Amino acid sequence: MEYQFDFGPVFARWPELVQGTFLTIWLSLAATAIGLPIAAVLAATRSYGPRPLRWLVGTYVELIRNTPFLIQLYFVFFAMPGLGIRLSANGAAILAMVVNLVAYAVEIVRAGLEAIPRGQIEAGRALGLGPIRILRHIVLGQALRIVYPALASQFVLQLLGSSLVSAIAAEELTAVANNIMIVTFRNFEVFGVITVIYLGLSLAFRALLGGIHHRAFRWTG
Amino acid sequence: MTSPRRTLFALGAALLLALPFHAQAQAPEDIVKAGKILIAIDTTVPPYGSLDTQMQPTGMDVELGQLVGKALGVPVEFVTVTSPGRIPALLTKRVDLVISIFSITAERALQVDFSNPYGGQSTVLLAPKGRKIAGPKDLVGLKVGATRGAIEDVVLTEMVKNNPGINYLRFDDGPSCVQAMLSGQIDAMGGGDYGEIYLRKSSTGDEFEQKFVLRPNYFGIGMRKGNPALLHWVNTLLFTLKNDGTLDRLSMKYRNKPIGDLPPF
Repeated sequence: MEYQFDFGPVFARWPELVQGTFLTIWLSLAATAIGLPIAAVLAATRSYGPRPLRWLVGTYVELIRNTPFLIQLYFVFFAMPGLGIRLSANGAAILAMVVNLVAYAVEIVRAGLEAIPRGQIEAGRALGLGPIRILRHIVLGQALRIVYPALASQFVLQLLGSSLVSAIAAEELTAVANNIMIVTFRNFEVFGVITVIYLGLSLAFRALLGGIHHRAFRWTG
Repeated sequence: MTSPRRTLFALGAALLLALPFHAQAQAPEDIVKAGKILIAIDTTVPPYGSLDTQMQPTGMDVELGQLVGKALGVPVEFVTVTSPGRIPALLTKRVDLVISIFSITAERALQVDFSNPYGGQSTVLLAPKGRKIAGPKDLVGLKVGATRGAIEDVVLTEMVKNNPGINYLRFDDGPSCVQAMLSGQIDAMGGGDYGEIYLRKSSTGDEFEQKFVLRPNYFGIGMRKGNPALLHWVNTLLFTLKNDGTLDRLSMKYRNKPIGDLPPF
């Protein structure tokens, strides 16, 4: 017996694949839009904040970075209803992705903050700027420029990692692929198609984010 | 400069090797010659397959698998699979047989061969006692869950299409679906008419009960197509196990009910 590839039944379900792809993109964008500002604040806290707060952020970062995303996902979806918080599958997926992304992004942004020479901050202070204005006008812009490629990478990782949320019944691309498989049993074809879609998404977002990088940070040379 | 290209080449070669082609017919003697039999089981579906306190596989499917090995005179190597992973495990030759509450359907039989049934179990709709559900119409507006790829998924997918308004959620494995039921993330679920859910209480304190039958199922032993000798041998073994009362004994031991009718095809 030789395996006969047949992509027909898979392509016939393209509306579902498109829907799944959009949900994958949407989950990642939403999680990033919510998570990045939080990460920036927490990174500043971990770098410059009072010691107890630094310690608190550090604990959160280590807790999340040293446990599997799937477990965090299960916790949000299955355990939180016990505390009276009931989220939809997509809501739980976004919350878990935010919690996960922030932990990694804090460390990335912090690396950028620590890279700013102390002399610049002292110069700002000498000019009479408060800590918030020093952060805003001197530190944050430069820090973001330094860590932008790492953040872009993290976004793509997050996009690919979102394939796990099918476990809690969020119907993103991987879930749709699994649904198509159980009806068509064309597993290899489905895996082939979604591999190409994920690859295309990753490359497209890398190119897009690279383009933004080029434009947004041109002023700094 | 050559290193990325070499990596790509290695990747391509690995992909090609991983693809299943030129599968040769497999007879029982070939398995005897290989010195072991690889059997796919699911260890998340008690009482058919689960892990005991020593983390060893146990259950009705597992014991049947051991009987297959015993009849061939070779040791059994159990390979754990999930419900949607059963057909791929066969097609990629990771296993010789699937014995894992593998319900016989015509759609699946396009990809793999089934033996005659060795057991049966209805797929039903489960919900807390307090919820009034008599038929599919009563599910409209509720959250209904099922395990992706299982029979209940196939039946419920059709039901959802015919009854718009059912909020349908698919989970990747049985325990996740049961957990969603227990934590109140879903209002009803499709599943077998067995299992620990009957021993548990819902988030509202209710016990669970069967609301209606989705489909009666028969479990067969699955194998790759094009192995007539192996298929015939497995059917012969099941014939003897049925007639000497072994299957009935297994059913009583694990499910506490007789094996019931097993119509061959």
